[in-house]
Amino acid sequence: MTLFWLATALIVISQGMILRSTVRAMLAARSAHARRGIEWAYAIVPAVALVIVLLATWQAVQRRQVQVQVSAAVRT
Amino acid sequence: MTAPVVSAVATPSLARDLIALTKPRIISLLLVTTLAPMFVAGTPSWATIWWTGVGGYLMAGGANAVNMYIDRDIDTLMARTKLRPIPSGRMTPRAVLAFGVAIATAATWLLAHYVNVLTAALALAGFYFYVFVYTRWLKRTTPQNIVLGGAAGAFPPLVGWAAVTGRVDLASIYLFLIIFYWTPPHFWALALNKQRDYGQAGVPMAPNIWGARETIDQMVWYTVLLVALSVLPVTFGVFGRIYLGSALVLGGILLWGVLRVRGRDRAGTDWSAVAWWVYGYSLLYLALLFAAMAADRHLGA
Repeated sequence: MTLFWLATALIVISQGMILRSTVRAMLAARSAHARRGIEWAYAIVPAVALVIVLLATWQAVQRRQVQVQVSAAVRT
Repeated sequence: MTAPVVSAVATPSLARDLIALTKPRIISLLLVTTLAPMFVAGTPSWATIWWTGVGGYLMAGGANAVNMYIDRDIDTLMARTKLRPIPSGRMTPRAVLAFGVAIATAATWLLAHYVNVLTAALALAGFYFYVFVYTRWLKRTTPQNIVLGGAAGAFPPLVGWAAVTGRVDLASIYLFLIIFYWTPPHFWALALNKQRDYGQAGVPMAPNIWGARETIDQMVWYTVLLVALSVLPVTFGVFGRIYLGSALVLGGILLWGVLRVRGRDRAGTDWSAVAWWVYGYSLLYLALLFAAMAADRHLGA
């Protein structure tokens, strides 16, 4: 459980810093590629997908804990 | 008296060009990330391994050939690509397109017939994503091209997993995500050193548009995210200690390399050699990480 929260915290911080850096780069870029709406969408899509995967992971971790507890109870 | 001149350069031939169109060096890593997950997912038969490997090679090779057809205009402008069969005039664009489509079609049939339909569908999805989403759409329009485009290279573990289990589940999605988040630090390490090439070709790679400093900062954060993400499958029982130790050590070395690039950039010294090191090591990182996955499942129980 500690590993899950530690990894999740690092992922959230890293993703936040990536989004911050992308916004900063978008604002600074003056080229034709500075289409801010679509660039923002490109940055946010992986972040949203990552949140969904982390929620699914949390459920999987919970299920595994229940399994471990049940098998420990059966052994005793 | 003059001695006959023997060229040290290999003579181009059609067979050699056809193999070159598939980009075999890149596919060797794709095969590692296809086959290793098969041993994580279960105990595949030799026939399943063979047909998944052949189908995977042909599908990725087809995607690479079609990519060379689409990018033929900019391949002539970059030193790295101007010796490819189309820009050098050894093959016509139409022949390259036909070859790419033919071997991708053959791959779809082989995978569907000898493995399963889901495996064929996932491999074909990877082909379409690489050709249409990455090459046609993202590559020339956004500095985040290889961020989202990284999904194309992340399909092989899904293919390998589906070949053994017939489904896609959370563990296989993690293998997909590991490659997805590995792609930015890997590719940007190359792009940092190829800014002139990409600039000449008009490809908006992040270092050309955002600048080296912003790109290097993102490489650091993507690497931290990658290392954290790579250990999460341990938390729900997919992998054990062998994999956890490998992921932390291999990821730690990658992060050290990326931080060295950042340190040199901040100090105003030349980072090109270190960036090349990161590019080379990142290839080794991915291959060893996937090997550790298979080893963990078979040795760690």
